[in-house]
Amino acid sequence: MTLTSFVRKNAFRNLRRSILTVLSIGFSLLLLTLMMAIWRNFYMEKGSEESALRLVTRHKVSLVFSMPSYYREKIRAIPGVAVVVPGNWFGGVYKDDKSGNFFAQFGTDPDEFFKVYKEWKIPDDQITAWQRDRAGAVVDSELAKKYGWKIGQRIIITGTIFPTNLELNIRGLFTAPQPTQAVYFNQKYVEEAVPFMKGQQGFYTILASSAADVPKVNRAVDDTFRNSPQPTKTETEKAFQLGFLAMLGNVKAFILSICGAVVFAILLVSANTMAMSIRERTREVAVLKTLGFTRGTVLGLFVGEAVVLALIGGIGGSVVAYLIGMGAAKAGGFAGALHVKVATMAVAWAAAAFMGFFSALVPSYTASRLGIVDGLRHIG
Amino acid sequence: MSTATVPNIATKTKVIQARNVSKVFTRDAFQVKALDNVSIEIAGGDFVALMGPSGSGKTTLLNMIAAIDRPTAGELLVLGQNIFTFSDSQSAKWRNEHIGYVFQTFNLIPVLTAFENVELPLLLTKLNSQQRRDHVMTALKLVGLEDRVHHLPKQLSGGQEQRVAIARAIVSDPTLLLADEPTGDLDSNSATEVLEILRRLNQDFHKTVIMVTHDPHAASYAHVTRHLEKGMLLPA
Repeated sequence: MTLTSFVRKNAFRNLRRSILTVLSIGFSLLLLTLMMAIWRNFYMEKGSEESALRLVTRHKVSLVFSMPSYYREKIRAIPGVAVVVPGNWFGGVYKDDKSGNFFAQFGTDPDEFFKVYKEWKIPDDQITAWQRDRAGAVVDSELAKKYGWKIGQRIIITGTIFPTNLELNIRGLFTAPQPTQAVYFNQKYVEEAVPFMKGQQGFYTILASSAADVPKVNRAVDDTFRNSPQPTKTETEKAFQLGFLAMLGNVKAFILSICGAVVFAILLVSANTMAMSIRERTREVAVLKTLGFTRGTVLGLFVGEAVVLALIGGIGGSVVAYLIGMGAAKAGGFAGALHVKVATMAVAWAAAAFMGFFSALVPSYTASRLGIVDGLRHIG
Repeated sequence: MSTATVPNIATKTKVIQARNVSKVFTRDAFQVKALDNVSIEIAGGDFVALMGPSGSGKTTLLNMIAAIDRPTAGELLVLGQNIFTFSDSQSAKWRNEHIGYVFQTFNLIPVLTAFENVELPLLLTKLNSQQRRDHVMTALKLVGLEDRVHHLPKQLSGGQEQRVAIARAIVSDPTLLLADEPTGDLDSNSATEVLEILRRLNQDFHKTVIMVTHDPHAASYAHVTRHLEKGMLLPA
């Protein structure tokens, strides 16, 4: 036996209570890990190298307002701009309006689309097929897998914003580093069906020539249209995506408040368990001290127990969060933000250990200060 | 004041020298004098029984000798050292090295086997795993429980539990063996077994044994019996 195995045996001496404690800590850490993963993916991840080179330009007032199509050529003329493609949210319904059947549909330019999204994988012949078919579309391979779509298949999307339905031929399946759950089609299809959309674009995606060009292009685009009837707001692709998130409200405060509540709950659960456990063993503490255990060793034993329980719960919770994140990442879209990285799990473990440590500190310190004579008199 | 003398004991140095030791407990507004000017000397190798009615101060004196309680007044030298000048951690280390303590209620750790309970004091030493194993097995053999090493306390009888507790007390080879009513919770057969072990430890291994007891039969195993009453040590 070692002091470590002594700690382990004590941690599980009341099996039911220990399991319940581990489960409650595990569930809390599951939430904490997912929240940290969301925070990391939204606010800390820089994205791919290619993503860092991409900028999105939209109407300064709101994404709801469109911009003239000729902006594309003006943007293309700005030094540092490699490629620029338009994008339009179609917002149609596939099959029915159940949330399970929701996916994004964008109108764009097939000729240059994959020059902007270079890291997305799609065979060249499929790109060519899409470019040749005005009613053609390319589909995220994960989305195609979900619906069992095949190349050549026709899908019908009912318009809700625009008074037309899209009858699209699937010409290609692309694979993005993070699943997008999106369908891209030729914007001209919508323009021909909906006359008022002719010459209008919802946003532009710009690929800068180099990282150094990104801030210059960012400023130059907005400066170009500053005094026009449709002024623009240009931001990085990441910031553009976060803009969608901000529509939900103060997501940062939401995540922080959940994290705070989780940490507080773990502290209470763990502190309560340790306080009960230590109180039950008052006499044992006195015996240990009689045998020669110092205050420091007794403190270490009890704190160690709390850390062991918290760590087991923390590891269990973060592993479940990892598995949930793996499943969510396949779903793509914002659910992809639940993807848990090993570094996030490590932070969760450290958080669990720290919380175990702090929750046990006061009851353990009190136990370590217990007088032997008083402890031996204790009836518990 | 009296010096206990035992024949056939090699060491005759004074291992305990208490001079005018007093202890006053304060409980709420009341003050209770547990020890009143107690002076006693005990030589190495003695087997001393401390007797007296409940509340006479026997356990308090034993606790003083073990450095788990401090006197209100007086001086107590144990193994030539004034143990009350020690810090808490020094006291703990000193107890681990020099004191074996046997409780009335055994006080074994319920989640540990007999082997692990006996090994507990050795976890604080620098002994390696094999050395600890040797010490533990020696101690368990000495109390006749080498075939119960993997038993948890709840799987042992009261007498066996107390023998494990004695093994735990002697495993670090302490100079002093202090027993606080070691037979108080045992039937007469088990009590006799425990007392025989204490006698053997005293006679064969020259341990100085100080035993608190109410039981005249238990006291008969000691070479010297001292009586306390109302905190005062009665003349020998």
